Amino acid sequence: MLYIHQHTCISPQQTFNDIQLESLRESVDNKLKAFEPAYEGIPQGILRRMGKAVRMGVGAAIPILKNTPAIDGIIIGTANGGLEDCIKFLNQIIDYEEGLLTPGNFVQSTPNAIAAQLGLMTKNKSYNITHVHRGLAFETALIDAAMMAKENPGKNYLLGAVDEISSYNFNIDYLDGWYKKEPVSNKDLYGSQTPASIAGEGASMFLVNSNPQGASAFVKGIKTIHSQDEEFIIQEFKKFIQSHFPANQKPDILLTGENGDSRLLKYYSAVELILSGTNVLRYKHMCGEYPTTSSFACWLSCRLLEQQQIPGHMNKKIADNLPVKSIVIYNNYKGLQHSLAILSLP
Amino acid sequence: MGIITAIGNSVPENRDALINGRSGISDLSLFPSKYAGVLPCAEIKISTELLKEKLNAYERGVTRTSLLSLQALKEAVVDAGLSPEELSKDSTALIGASTVGGMCLTDELYHDANKSDNGSEYLSSYDCGSVSIYLQSKLKIGGIINTINTACSSSANAVMYGARLIKNGLADKAIVGGADSLAKFTINGFKSLHILSDEKCRPFDKDRKGLNLGEGAAFLVLEKEEDIAGRKVYAEVTGYGNSNDAYHPSSISDEGEGPYLSMKAALEIAGINQDEISFINAHGTATENNDETESRAMIRLFRTPPPFVSTKSYTGHTLGAAGAVEAVFSVLSLYHQEIYPALQFAHPIESTGLKPCLSYAPSSLKHIMSNSFGFGGNCSSLIFSKL
Repeated sequence: MLYIHQHTCISPQQTFNDIQLESLRESVDNKLKAFEPAYEGIPQGILRRMGKAVRMGVGAAIPILKNTPAIDGIIIGTANGGLEDCIKFLNQIIDYEEGLLTPGNFVQSTPNAIAAQLGLMTKNKSYNITHVHRGLAFETALIDAAMMAKENPGKNYLLGAVDEISSYNFNIDYLDGWYKKEPVSNKDLYGSQTPASIAGEGASMFLVNSNPQGASAFVKGIKTIHSQDEEFIIQEFKKFIQSHFPANQKPDILLTGENGDSRLLKYYSAVELILSGTNVLRYKHMCGEYPTTSSFACWLSCRLLEQQQIPGHMNKKIADNLPVKSIVIYNNYKGLQHSLAILSLP
Repeated sequence: MGIITAIGNSVPENRDALINGRSGISDLSLFPSKYAGVLPCAEIKISTELLKEKLNAYERGVTRTSLLSLQALKEAVVDAGLSPEELSKDSTALIGASTVGGMCLTDELYHDANKSDNGSEYLSSYDCGSVSIYLQSKLKIGGIINTINTACSSSANAVMYGARLIKNGLADKAIVGGADSLAKFTINGFKSLHILSDEKCRPFDKDRKGLNLGEGAAFLVLEKEEDIAGRKVYAEVTGYGNSNDAYHPSSISDEGEGPYLSMKAALEIAGINQDEISFINAHGTATENNDETESRAMIRLFRTPPPFVSTKSYTGHTLGAAGAVEAVFSVLSLYHQEIYPALQFAHPIESTGLKPCLSYAPSSLKHIMSNSFGFGGNCSSLIFSKL
């Protein structure tokens, strides 16, 4: 389907420079904020004007852009883009009663600002698109990239996803019951028996194409579902798993988006049951909950496949030891948007 | 196909307004804004409450953008004769597009984003994805669901994505389109950029003063060629191109590089020469920057451009819906073999001399190009062809 050749990640953990995943950085006030690098390579004047989402996205993409002579398309998934700028502009509208406003925040606020900024900075005139389908924004971007790679063999695509914690979306999702009311550390996330999760953010970027040579990982398949019907979801999962793994085969790892929300545990348990006997790892204690965490899971999977080392804090159930040749990622966002992806050694 | 805009609540109503040169641009009467009576807009004169009633859509947190979408989607589904069983198949995709989403509720969003007491009923309705998610749950659509936001070219990219899903075997049917409703957010945003006109917009006129915002929704049902026997078919999607202008966050380069490249890419996918394009539904927002750069790009590619019109003189600029709205108009032109007149045009831009079509005319049309360009340099072109 699609080969991943390069991968970068800015997240609440030490995932960018000098990657170190064994020790866990802790959440503060139910938020896992990104551990941002110094952003070498972005001119200071431009950097100052960037909102956090654009900054993380561009920052994560720069090493890939530097290492790749020609990028033939920029494909970004983000549920909200630069929401901080968006609400800043909104606040101006209300506070100044539709008076004379400055357009800076308005222009920065559109979710396509990340892909647009990447195009602008690198004078890249090729395919440029932003998918914003909430909890599946990264998955639909990945499907896009897979189609592009198939339609245009030999071409390289920058695929990525970004979402930020802004005080505004934190407030909105908190009021809507998606962040925990009591303080919970990411270290104790899975022990929590209450509804809701903790907030997170980050940017992951990938160089993808149709060429297996020298690839880090192969995206073998992806399935997206919109449903709250547990039985239907289980049937769809079974069909998908069976279509990719013959009866005598199973993936080496199931990496799930379990997020400490007691209401959603049933979905994760159901997938674990379908793949009983498979090692189960979890990732949201590292990145927190946000709409495009599956891009973080995808980055982690590339890393696991390459390094063959699993940080101990990720383990939920270890039945078998290494090597890791194939990983199934399951995530669901707010119990409605589900995705399964299969990554393997190329 | 299904559509709702300021010129009509259905495909036949929109066509009738186009044939008769009836613009939907007027003073705001339903939408509460300081600019009512000052900045004309293409407002759909049906209140949100009435839309709920008409559509029997009383779910909590449903926004105007979702309601307009549902109206257009239902018309498209009936027109294409899609049964609930067909909709629920995992080979039926829904690709929507929006730039405003639920942010049309500017005051509610202000409250929910800034205050920590009780939230409104719209907490999960503000994002762009909320629209497709609502439509999926309402019509139980079973395949790939997506939402695209590339600013003003959003729904042109939704058409492109849907066509590519079919081409790649990831869907047999793709319902593609987009929606946006008027919002304080966009009115004030475009106002701050000084590109809103205080009179009815005049696309491609040398004295144009900017754009009028509009609202609307449109959906088209795409099906793969193997399945169309015995079904009503309006046109074929033959070409699409997406390029970035890579010049400026909110304006297009002087020579219209992005528009030129997206038009050229669409011709390549369609496998036709530029002189085979019979007509262009131009982006034509009536801003100083767009119409001049788009004209230059057309001249660069076509030398003598084919007949063209910007239908934004009817519907205003419907932002994320524009690509789909204009796709429906392009397909209507092809199916009925007719060209709709440009409105409010008097004098061509001096440096280009291009004049849009000024009267309704039955025409022999084979391939129609539809252009959509957006902030962030996001340029897309589609080509529809007569069967």
